[in-house]
Amino acid sequence: MLEEGKVTCGCGEEVSEEELLARLDAVLEEYRAKPGALIPVLQIAQGLFGYLPEVALKKIALGLNKSYSEVAGVVSFYSFFSTQPRGKHLIRVCLGTACYVRGGKRVLDTLKQKLGVDVGDTTPDRTFTLEVARCFGACGLAPAIMIDDDVHHRVKPNKMDLILDKYREEPAAPDSGNGRGARATARRT
Amino acid sequence: MDNVRTHILVCTGGGCIASGALEVSAALREQLERHGLANEVRVIESGCLGPCAVGPVAAVYPDNVFYQGIRPDDAADIVEEHLLKGRVVERLVHTTPAGRTLPGLQEVPFFQKQVKIVLRNCGVIDPLKIEEYIARDGYRALGKVLTSMTPEEVIAEMKASGLRGRGGAGFLTGLKWEFTRKAPGDVKYILCNGDEGDPGAFMDRSVLEGDPHSVIEGMAIAAYAIGAQQGYAYIRAEYPLAVERFNHALRQAREYGLLGRDIFGTSFQFDIEVRMGSGAFVCGEETALMTSIEGNRGEPRPRPPFPAQKGLWGRPSCLNNVETFANVPPILLQGSKWFASYGTAKSKGTKVFALAGAVNNTGLVEVPIGMPLGEIIYDIGGGVPNGKKFKAVQLGGPSGGCIPKEYLNVPVDYESLSELGAIMGSGGMIVMDEDTCMVDVARFFLDFCQDESCGKCPPCRVGTKRMLEIVERICAGEGQEGDIEKLLELGQVVKDASLCGLGQTAPNPVLSTIRYFRHEYEAHIRDKHCEAGVCAALVRAPCQSACPAGVDVPGFVSLIGEKRYAEALALHRERNPFASVCARVCFHTCEDKCRRSTLDEAVAIRGLKRFMTEQEVTVQLPEIRDNEANARRKIAIVGAGPAGLSCAYFLARLGYRPRVFEAEPRPGGMLVQAIPAYRLPREELAREVRMIERLGVDIETNMRLGRDFTLAGLKQQGYDAVFLGIGAPLGAKLGIPGEDAEGVTEALRFLREYNIRGSAPIGQKVVVIGGGNAAIDAARTALRLGAESVSILYRRTRAEMPAYAEEVDEAEHEGVKLMVLVAPVEVVTQGGHVSGVKCRHMVLGEFDRSGRRRPVSSSDGDFIVPCDQIIAGIGQALDARELCDGLPLELNKNGFIKADPVTGRTSVPWVYAGGDAVMGPWSVVGAIAAGEKAAVGIDAALTGAEHAFWRKERPNDTAFDPDADPVQYPRAKMQLIPVNKRRNNFQEVELPWSEAVARREAKRCLRCDFRQPCEQTQD
Repeated sequence: MLEEGKVTCGCGEEVSEEELLARLDAVLEEYRAKPGALIPVLQIAQGLFGYLPEVALKKIALGLNKSYSEVAGVVSFYSFFSTQPRGKHLIRVCLGTACYVRGGKRVLDTLKQKLGVDVGDTTPDRTFTLEVARCFGACGLAPAIMIDDDVHHRVKPNKMDLILDKYREEPAAPDSGNGRGARATARRT
Repeated sequence: MDNVRTHILVCTGGGCIASGALEVSAALREQLERHGLANEVRVIESGCLGPCAVGPVAAVYPDNVFYQGIRPDDAADIVEEHLLKGRVVERLVHTTPAGRTLPGLQEVPFFQKQVKIVLRNCGVIDPLKIEEYIARDGYRALGKVLTSMTPEEVIAEMKASGLRGRGGAGFLTGLKWEFTRKAPGDVKYILCNGDEGDPGAFMDRSVLEGDPHSVIEGMAIAAYAIGAQQGYAYIRAEYPLAVERFNHALRQAREYGLLGRDIFGTSFQFDIEVRMGSGAFVCGEETALMTSIEGNRGEPRPRPPFPAQKGLWGRPSCLNNVETFANVPPILLQGSKWFASYGTAKSKGTKVFALAGAVNNTGLVEVPIGMPLGEIIYDIGGGVPNGKKFKAVQLGGPSGGCIPKEYLNVPVDYESLSELGAIMGSGGMIVMDEDTCMVDVARFFLDFCQDESCGKCPPCRVGTKRMLEIVERICAGEGQEGDIEKLLELGQVVKDASLCGLGQTAPNPVLSTIRYFRHEYEAHIRDKHCEAGVCAALVRAPCQSACPAGVDVPGFVSLIGEKRYAEALALHRERNPFASVCARVCFHTCEDKCRRSTLDEAVAIRGLKRFMTEQEVTVQLPEIRDNEANARRKIAIVGAGPAGLSCAYFLARLGYRPRVFEAEPRPGGMLVQAIPAYRLPREELAREVRMIERLGVDIETNMRLGRDFTLAGLKQQGYDAVFLGIGAPLGAKLGIPGEDAEGVTEALRFLREYNIRGSAPIGQKVVVIGGGNAAIDAARTALRLGAESVSILYRRTRAEMPAYAEEVDEAEHEGVKLMVLVAPVEVVTQGGHVSGVKCRHMVLGEFDRSGRRRPVSSSDGDFIVPCDQIIAGIGQALDARELCDGLPLELNKNGFIKADPVTGRTSVPWVYAGGDAVMGPWSVVGAIAAGEKAAVGIDAALTGAEHAFWRKERPNDTAFDPDADPVQYPRAKMQLIPVNKRRNNFQEVELPWSEAVARREAKRCLRCDFRQPCEQTQD
């Protein structure tokens, strides 16, 4: 039986990859005989690792006696699964009309450059994931970005570091990017 | 158990949690502890109560008090005032617009019209306690079914109830069960679809979180009916709380023996397993959902075979939606008759809707099926916020369609909605106001479907992609002629040829927005104009987009800020010659769209314009491009109102020498005939008319079409083109007995008589009938002419008056009495002269085609308003047939002239038209815009090319620091002369600002037109 709570991100913990893979073995043992086990196992694995690394996918394929291509096919189908690690903080740059004309694009370019990632990707230190969004209703104070659940108004590219620094020190906000709004902007990667 | 006297149910639905409900609940517990009430008062975290917009909310029982907008700091007040002293905390209860507080849950309008069957326990019980569910008759239906009914009887009862699938398609639930029951096979499955993916819909989530046992019980009953022993609940991963609570409920049910073996001591055994979705919208489709449970890519399968024959793992399976299951226990407990007493003939019961978007009370509502759409939006939803106009409502998310204001009266049931091109769907109801661009809406939903298309079948995979490309092109200003037709054709193919529901419904948002808002698509494609100010590529600044004449508002406002008044005025007159007129009478759609209003209030653009025009000493002429060939072409303009004069102005700037024929002795049309001098001093109008004459325009007055000349005659005289700007000069009749009596006149005739001839007979007690601008103008004019009392009778309410709100306010200040919801039924006469008007009180009834409630007679008796003069201002008309002497001029359905919205061309190729003559009574700036368009249209037809040099955007060279914070001044108020100085004269009421006020106001502009120069993009 799938227990609630396991699927939420497990990234705060300091656990070695071997340890995680051992846990995955235990999960596979439990699920091996169940019909339709692949997706629940992938969900648990993503909960363990925070994402689905190739090594885990291979283990799952072997453990459930499926081809790697079938597992990879399922993973790529569902937007919930990510083969890229996700960051602690989700940055969403508004590209709604008001923000767009007020330099939202420039804010995005600056962020891409500062973080060294493209839209949809996560920084190597797994602090930030960068995404774009449409209108937070902050048009009067455009351009706006949203980091976790905080909206930042009138963002100036040259002051971006001041904003980012605050989050570099802070832990992730609970429930970030898990709300309803996330669905409409989620993109399959 | 402790002796609990009071329960506080804090809503912990998703919306309230996001607004801080858990903190509120903790603060309440802490306060109770502090006051030693913890044993007497219990705080319960309940499921969703519905009104998410005012969350966090809580209900106190048995006092039945509803608190909203609670912050953790309020906990002390609630405990000390309410629970200790027994006084309701008034500031936290619902307040009517009139300021009355309504503490009772049932008193709040949001709840009044709701009927809760599905949500019967949401917000009433603690979802984590099975005992509370059982105490509310929970699992009694299952007990009854297992011990006293055969599966066939259960199915018969379900069929009799008329319950239809709440997931969207609306298939009869009982019939679905019967098919699965009858399918051969030992192993069958019952499946619950909780993969609620439509943006804006969250009713399944609320049920799963707020009352999970109702779904479990419903599934168990269904399992018994179809003969299944195993169920799966497929719940989307984005709802972790729903998964947690549902799992918790499953464990409790097993502990109580309500799941597992030998349930209720019978041989029936059943259990449920939760499977979580993984973020694929298509898995809400039944065959895709089964494929996903099987552990595969969630792609749909062709039907037949239907799931009832071959479903999950090839076994007969029955899939119902969360809301459907939640309906099952009450139906079996209270009977199909009871259930079928709600709803319409073909759609029984209630439906839960998620109200979202531009509506005051967003949240979850449950209403009997068949309630008119308008009642849900206005009575329960509280209407559209911020005084914006309702535009449309999107039903059924990306699979559904929109319904415009014309159909607010539609009963919300499966058939009526699908006739209008929308669907019931899962119950998402997104309200959209005038600031929504319908093309952009279509783009949004299409983007969603295109993104969520699983890719298995090409019509959906490729079709939605191609459609999206076309819609994106239109939004980017690169739409082409024929795009709409292409979308319609492609949409039909995708609908017909796609494998599953996702593809078959994906084109709906596009098709339905084209059906009702085709003009917006056309404006995007042909005019490159986005009226709502949404599509970035088409919008320089929302104010400019909103101006029918396209005046560069940020341009002239910023020039005023730099004291460059002459340049500012010249920039204005590039697009609109009547700066001074519009500074006084324009209905300023620019201000309605001003982005500053999201900070505090809109920039006072009309006030700024007034100041700007006051600075003009000698009239400057605009740029004219002399053209000998054009000068030789003969163009006639009929009607010297704003449309005709604007057309003449722009033609003259292209080198034409148009001749204007005016029926009345003075040019100006409605500006001089109808609009009183206290709003528009005559010398101001004359100045701008003279400016137009100086460009080489001849105006001949006292030349009436049909009397002094004819259109055919103009053609014979060698005119190449004729523009009809003849307005809507006729007043509509009241159509009640006695209206031919002496002392009854109509508003336009009355105003024209006074404004042109300088005097008009006026009574002592004057009654004006109507709520439009002409009625208000007539009332204020009557007051100035010495009437003792002036009353306006209007059959709807003030909110529905078409007149500008500012004018209505001033009329009241001046002493005009407003009597609303009153309709005249008869003119009372004495000796052939008016002595009064018999009236009837009205109440607002159903929604009519204008999206307003239709006034209907109340049961109160008639009453008489004594008067000696009646002025009827209830509508304007045009007798176009008579004027057009035999020309095959096509009219629209209201009897006005049909003309192309882009070029003004009518069905007669050399005749153009615009303004009120085409649109019906509209606006000055609308007429000016129509005149300009016709001028460009005429020129293009005669020369074969467009030469509208004034349409080219001017770069704005005023200083602006995009990094500075907006100035903090509030909006400057217009200054008016005191009311006691307005009687018996026609002095202008509004006064201009001082330079300091005006320049400060100009600085409030956020300069939405400003674009960062490219070279600064790197820091």
